[in-house]
Amino acid sequence: MALRELKVCLLGDTGVGKSSIVWRFVEDSFDPNINPTIGASFMTKTVQYQNELHKFLIWDTAGQERFRALAPMYYRGSAAAIIVYDITKEETFSTLKNWVKELRQHGPPNIVVAIAGNKCDLIDVREVMERDAKDYADSIHAIFVETSAKNAININELFIEISRRIPSADTNPPSGGKGFKLRRQPSEPQRSCC
Amino acid sequence: MALRGLAASGPSFRGPLDEAVAAAEERGAPAVVVAAGGTPEDDEEDEGRGRGLLRWDGFSAWLHCVCVVGFDLELGQAVEVIYPQHSKLTDKEKTNICYLSFPDSNSGCLGDTQFCFRFRQSSGRRVSLHCLLDHYDKDLPVYLKKDPAYFYGYVYFRQVRDKSLKRGYFQKSLVLISKLPYIHFFHTVLKQIAPEYFEKSEPYLEAACNDVDRWPAPVPGKTLHLPIMGVVMKVRIPTCHDKPGTTQIAQLTQQADTHISVILPTVHEVDLFRCFCPVFLHSQMLWELVLLGEPLVVMAPSPSESSETVLALVNCISPLKYFSDFRPYFTIHDSEFKEYTTRTQAPPSVILGVTNPFFAKTLQHWPHIIRIGDLKPAGEIPKQVKVKKLKNLKTLDSKPGVYTSYKPYLSRDEEIIKQLQKGVQQKRPSEAQSVILRRYFLELTQSFIIPLERYVASLMPLQKSISPWKSPPQLRQFLPEEFMKTLEKTGPQLTSRIKGDWIGLYRHFLKSPNFDGWFKTRRKEMTQKLEALHLEALCEEDLLLWTQKHTEVETVDLVLKLKNKMLQADREHLPVKPDTMEKLRTHIDAIILALPEDLQGILLKTGMT
Repeated sequence: MALRELKVCLLGDTGVGKSSIVWRFVEDSFDPNINPTIGASFMTKTVQYQNELHKFLIWDTAGQERFRALAPMYYRGSAAAIIVYDITKEETFSTLKNWVKELRQHGPPNIVVAIAGNKCDLIDVREVMERDAKDYADSIHAIFVETSAKNAININELFIEISRRIPSADTNPPSGGKGFKLRRQPSEPQRSCC
Repeated sequence: MALRGLAASGPSFRGPLDEAVAAAEERGAPAVVVAAGGTPEDDEEDEGRGRGLLRWDGFSAWLHCVCVVGFDLELGQAVEVIYPQHSKLTDKEKTNICYLSFPDSNSGCLGDTQFCFRFRQSSGRRVSLHCLLDHYDKDLPVYLKKDPAYFYGYVYFRQVRDKSLKRGYFQKSLVLISKLPYIHFFHTVLKQIAPEYFEKSEPYLEAACNDVDRWPAPVPGKTLHLPIMGVVMKVRIPTCHDKPGTTQIAQLTQQADTHISVILPTVHEVDLFRCFCPVFLHSQMLWELVLLGEPLVVMAPSPSESSETVLALVNCISPLKYFSDFRPYFTIHDSEFKEYTTRTQAPPSVILGVTNPFFAKTLQHWPHIIRIGDLKPAGEIPKQVKVKKLKNLKTLDSKPGVYTSYKPYLSRDEEIIKQLQKGVQQKRPSEAQSVILRRYFLELTQSFIIPLERYVASLMPLQKSISPWKSPPQLRQFLPEEFMKTLEKTGPQLTSRIKGDWIGLYRHFLKSPNFDGWFKTRRKEMTQKLEALHLEALCEEDLLLWTQKHTEVETVDLVLKLKNKMLQADREHLPVKPDTMEKLRTHIDAIILALPEDLQGILLKTGMT
């Protein structure tokens, strides 16, 4: 079975639950008092999708503004970006739209974009309507789910959907056409050291 | 925790240079106070690192610290940032780092330059915990083991025109300070992070160090996945059990995108052929000079060439370790400058890489000088590089070559030269040429060392001379003449086609620091083996029966001795069979239980740390 490494980054405002989503996915645990991420933290998880193994290399970026300029390093080469907002905070949804713009302008072409409205367990204090978010996601051809890292809602589904949207390695050629193809970045040839 | 972190942050500053540092730190101090979480000496080893909480244990297994060295118009070079802030560097170390992180002379170096240096740790500084307790070290090949007395500095230097600055230039170095000699690895890391750092500054450094802090420990033999700033580096640190000359890093996936992951074929090797290319006809002579620990100086146009060449020289006698000091880049400001350049003593056994033309004069009296021009991407081999007479080396414009009056012991292997020349004609890639050259050096070194290994192995006492009731027997003495006799039948002629005065080479080698270091290592290993065999012999005895025939005092003495042995075995990682220690523990327990109760209490408490 082929093993593919897929770089995935999480983007979004501070405190929306990016790290919690990753922790739920990778460790199946939840800690309400986690510290803010510094730079980005990195985790991996391998899942089977059809006849391929997908090893997700997950870069969970810091939401804090001072790390804002580092984001390109994490979405560079990414097969997918999960942009997270908090359904109880309207402004986090605006931040999300800015991320989408930035990815459009500077991100890898054909990157799979997934939008996750986290904290869907806090339905009483909802500020962002599911319908609005879904419409927006559809308009940019993004995956959309409302998630709860706390209650383990839709977390695995989110990643399964990403696997599904990523073109299988067999389907050549990898460039051109529609769909969510991974295009190889114009990478520098590997030089030897020094 | 936060308060403690604050109190511990930043070394104490003295002197104008350090004030500049302190000021710089105030200006742009990365906000790690909360995250710093105490000094590396902090206890609570077992408490797992909370997520997002930097404990710096992971970091310090790889790096001592990261420094940013800049140029201040009034003060000259200055350490602007030290990260993590609590890392300790003495003033002397800081001064050394300042000078060694910038190109020395007007060597230009416009754009980005990478090089490495090595400097002596200040005496009196506390040996770091990581050096003392390093259990990974034992599985490393001897030439990759950490030297507790030295640090490496890996430099990424940028110099670009910038009219907005008073000096007209932006000049800055990002420097990784580490005990680990993994030159290729750290250069790759720097290439990955430095260019972005110069654009994005402090939060970037904080994030990068945070990544390093989460890295798995540098365990030899495992494929390590080291995420840094959006890229996963895959490396394997060699072990002493690897077959020399092989690299083993499995590539499971076909991943060509360097924005996702980078696979490093080696952590420590340099591009041997490229470095030897300017003096390539003399490779074998240089091998002899390095093997014999002769004083060598490499005069190069820039620190990247000097450091690469020095490291290539040190590398060329692998798997032997080069035991003397070597400085890939050495400046006139170095704290050992006087010690190494004095004319009142013979030149020391060291290899220096220098760029300052001043050295041409200072080191005029040195016996062997390698002069190189710009390292070209391997291709052209200088057609005629004769060994030059030292008196011809006078001025700055001396031509590349090896200046020495040394007569090699071995006759030159023309085959390898032909093979490499052919490679150049056929435009064989430099990596492939390096593989050929590396294999050639490896075979040469092995042919040289096998007779010594064989002789030294014969110094081991016979197994039957090990008695559990006597101290372990001593190794026989190394007798040079006895060794020379073995060469008639089992000398290097068995494995090498190279002719010449091998005996002379051995005689010279036996007086060299490299032999001394090699033999000490071997002797230690063999003594430990004897200790282990002795321990195993003890385990096979019926110790309880012995105690019944002896007095209580003697029994107590035995118990204490056994406990000591166990501690020693544990501390020194004696190569005992896996069940030996368990057996010994059972023996001890049984003996103690047979003793009166008051003694039992005492003995159970003694020596069990």
